[in-house]
Amino acid sequence: MGKSIAVENLRAWYGDQLTLKGIDMELEANRATAIIGPSGCGKSTFIRCLNRLHETVPHSRVEGEIRLGDEDLYRMDPVDVRRVVGMVFQKANPFPMMSIFDNVALALRLNGIRRKRELFERVEKSLRMAALWDEVKDRLRDPATALSGGQQQRLCIARALAMEPDVLLMDEPTSALDPGSTLRVEELIEALKSSYTIVIVTHNMQQAARVADRTAFFLNGELIEYGDTATLFTKPADPRTEAYVTGRFG
Amino acid sequence: MGMRTMKRMPANAKIANRLFVAAAGLSASSPILFLLLITGIVLVQSIPALRWMGWHFLTGITWNMGSVYGAMTVKNGVTAPAGASYGALPFIVGTLASSAIALVIAIPISLGTAMILAYRVRGVVKSALSIVVELLAGVPSVVLGLWGVVVLAPWVSSALGPFLTHFGPAIPFLKGPVGTGMGLLTSGLVLALMVIPIITATTRDLLERVPLHYREGGVALGMTNWEVVRHICLPHIRDGMIGSIALGWGRAMGETMAVLMVSGSAVNMLPHNLYSPISTMAAVIADQLDSAMTDASHMAVHALSALALVLLMLTLLTNLAARLLVNRSRGSRRIDLGVRV
Repeated sequence: MGKSIAVENLRAWYGDQLTLKGIDMELEANRATAIIGPSGCGKSTFIRCLNRLHETVPHSRVEGEIRLGDEDLYRMDPVDVRRVVGMVFQKANPFPMMSIFDNVALALRLNGIRRKRELFERVEKSLRMAALWDEVKDRLRDPATALSGGQQQRLCIARALAMEPDVLLMDEPTSALDPGSTLRVEELIEALKSSYTIVIVTHNMQQAARVADRTAFFLNGELIEYGDTATLFTKPADPRTEAYVTGRFG
Repeated sequence: MGMRTMKRMPANAKIANRLFVAAAGLSASSPILFLLLITGIVLVQSIPALRWMGWHFLTGITWNMGSVYGAMTVKNGVTAPAGASYGALPFIVGTLASSAIALVIAIPISLGTAMILAYRVRGVVKSALSIVVELLAGVPSVVLGLWGVVVLAPWVSSALGPFLTHFGPAIPFLKGPVGTGMGLLTSGLVLALMVIPIITATTRDLLERVPLHYREGGVALGMTNWEVVRHICLPHIRDGMIGSIALGWGRAMGETMAVLMVSGSAVNMLPHNLYSPISTMAAVIADQLDSAMTDASHMAVHALSALALVLLMLTLLTNLAARLLVNRSRGSRRIDLGVRV
């Protein structure tokens, strides 16, 4: 089951550049939250703070507090954080030297699941959840790179789901996909959001409107507006939000 | 008509281009020419010794010039001093064993250092460490040899060797006596020091070229740094690693001076434990060439040439095997691109 995330006065730097200027935000459990905003607004940095990936970048820095359920994210071991907060990237990044099966099984093996039967069941379950099973069940030993772009991205989702995370972060997961694959990933988000807390960064406002329960608008490292998706798109409270969602900039 | 002549290439450009193509072709073919020439000369020079000894050249353990000032004998159609025997097995074993020890020590250390350099340290520390590694590669081997004699051998004899003998009951090769410290283990250690910078520098470059989004994929799955390196980066750089290890191995087998200084210069014996004196092919060639010149039948020089031939073949085979391994795993991924010159 998903957990809620509470962000308090989150500030993040790349070198001297302040990319997040104090974000306060509550992300609800078992809901999909979309983060929208123009390029460079800090939305990717924001979700990369939620699994503590931001701090792996040279010369980066983070301040503030993030609570996952009732735990302080920045007091946990970052490796443990990433085991409960999964992530899917903009560019599908299945491990190229591994088979489809091993891409999903690797992290499970590293977590001590060794028995073949259990491993296979978990891999199958994850691939089914990612709506990929039927397409790959007969070629699990093929290299992951033999899959199409959309399939690779769903493989990455399956890989993240195999860890049974509480939260699933998605950083523009469909921006490199064709419309058909995009639709399949969106359907997937729809199906997953009842059991995971999903945070999706997107450039595509229709996508936010389609999949997200709540939407947040970021601009220049600040959270401008955050609310129910329908409200944010139809009756934005802030003129800057209105300008962005009506396509006047960004 | 005027336009036509203007568009034609000027004559001097044509000549310059021809010269360039010829010069480039000559330069490009020089490696293979040199290799063929060297192999040819070494081969021709070693034939008398190979005829004298037959297969015993590879399996014999006695290396003896015979009575150089005594009577000559004729065997298999070649002439040599009476009692001359050239069995290279101890030197072949010495070369293989010392270089293998060097690799066993160097590979994990190089990998660890490369990992730190590529992924851990940043800024000034990174450049400083990188420079140190490159400086280590530049230390003249005679200096390393001297250090090996003055510092390393006594330490092996008084500390490392006695410590390792505790494992003797489990691993017979580690049993004593430890001796002077001049021998197989010290040679391996000195060679490891020479090989580490080679493997480290290549591995660091390879690790730095692993695409970030693959590493982030692993990190985002909750993999530790080591797990990311082990399961994502290493498979990615496997081919290049094999190549750099082969390069280091070639270096270790061919190294002469440092090994000559710390090997204990064993003759006519095979190493019986980790500390026993050895000799390597390269060291013997350098060491004995001077006295070999006194053999009027030239058999001693031919024997050293045959030794050189074996060394050359081993080095070439190592490189070829590494190539084959690399190509087999890679298929033919390289695509010919661009303008043909």
